[in-house]
Amino acid sequence: MEGRFNWAGVIDFLPELGTGLYYTLLISIIGLIIGFILGAIFGLGRISKNKIFYGISSIYIEVIRGTPVLVQAIWIFFALPLITGYNMASVTAGIVVIAVNSGAYIAEIVRGAVQSIAKGQVEAGRSLGLTHNQTMRYIVWPQAFKRMIPPLGNQFIISIKDTSLLSVILVPELMFQGRLIASNYFNAVEIYTTVAVFYLIITLTLSFILRMIEKRLDVQ
Amino acid sequence: MIKVENLHKSFGEHEVLKGIDCEIHSSEVLCVIGPSGSGKSTFLRCLNMLESITSGQVTVDGFNLKDKKTNINMVRTEVGMVFQQFNLFPHKTVIENIMLAPMKVRKLSKNEAKERGLKLLKKVGLSDKADKYPSSLSGGQQQRVAIARALAMEPKLMLFDEPTSALDPELVGEVLEVMKQLANEGMTMVVVTHEMGFAREVADRVLFMDEGIIMEEGSPDVIFSNPTSDRTKEFLDKVL
Repeated sequence: MEGRFNWAGVIDFLPELGTGLYYTLLISIIGLIIGFILGAIFGLGRISKNKIFYGISSIYIEVIRGTPVLVQAIWIFFALPLITGYNMASVTAGIVVIAVNSGAYIAEIVRGAVQSIAKGQVEAGRSLGLTHNQTMRYIVWPQAFKRMIPPLGNQFIISIKDTSLLSVILVPELMFQGRLIASNYFNAVEIYTTVAVFYLIITLTLSFILRMIEKRLDVQ
Repeated sequence: MIKVENLHKSFGEHEVLKGIDCEIHSSEVLCVIGPSGSGKSTFLRCLNMLESITSGQVTVDGFNLKDKKTNINMVRTEVGMVFQQFNLFPHKTVIENIMLAPMKVRKLSKNEAKERGLKLLKKVGLSDKADKYPSSLSGGQQQRVAIARALAMEPKLMLFDEPTSALDPELVGEVLEVMKQLANEGMTMVVVTHEMGFAREVADRVLFMDEGIIMEEGSPDVIFSNPTSDRTKEFLDKVL
């Protein structure tokens, strides 16, 4: 086995892997920020009394949850341009896929967290003369947000790993770079192991940050 | 101050209030008693529109609650409410619980709200708890904070929804004491309660409700010593 794998040689490919890491992080961060905004909007839609808002939110969530990310990515990159006549850059498409996909799951997280806040909290706020929006903003949201953090962390990690699927729509992210290198230099073991370790470093860092936030918010 | 005419309230097919007529005057303390499921709490919650009114008229402080043009938030600023389960905001400290509505609704400055809050905490005997979180307080202390929170809006009327029912027996007294003090200061109060001793001592008038209607009303002396309705007698025999 000695000398069969050239681990030191991985260093030569760090610039390419670094580029991949950059795109993976870029798409994850922007995608998840937009995803969180979508999730907050459609999560509130799911508890809205407005039938149209509720209907649109439900359709969005069910369609996205009911189809694979890989299909969504390919559809947005290859099929959507044929409908709209507008070509999207692969990185843009990648961000859209992560945003739209995570948004649907985050919407359910938001809905669950908001609904888990006892009805009495809203009644107490309203009985003091606060408006519906003030009650949501000062009483329900802060409490709900704290409860969202563990499931949000879960979703963020899933979405970060999902970015690896974007290699099929030519996004130059980590997995794409890894495949490119491995197929040219036949060092699959070294490169794919390195790629896996990179993903692990990202997700472990995120877990750590989320745990810190959770601790910070749990002041009582 | 409050005028209720032929108030009906249904939850779906189930009619909980079957025609309530009642008037509550300024500075009056009205206690509402009756068995569970008689509609006491629903009646109280209709007075600040936590429950919508199915039919009938309710006028509070000159506002017609049935009128779509009435700004319900305006009405609620004048009507304080204390809940059975306290419903303090667990993510805010005691003083923040009290300061929130005066700042956001009455537009008081932070300092004014804090000053008012501390004064009220002193009144309910909890000056030392201002910076504590509700979870570290006993039930009786939490309920006193809830009373202070409602008073911080300087309401004209206070509604109490079984304020001592969730408390350990030894903590009931401290909450009733605060309420008694409030009554003595001339606050208009509607109290749904199972504390017959409190009703007898503090109430100006007692309503006995059963099956969605007011069975009997009168001064505490009459209701507790000389009830005319058989249902009232039966109920009082059980609880006294």
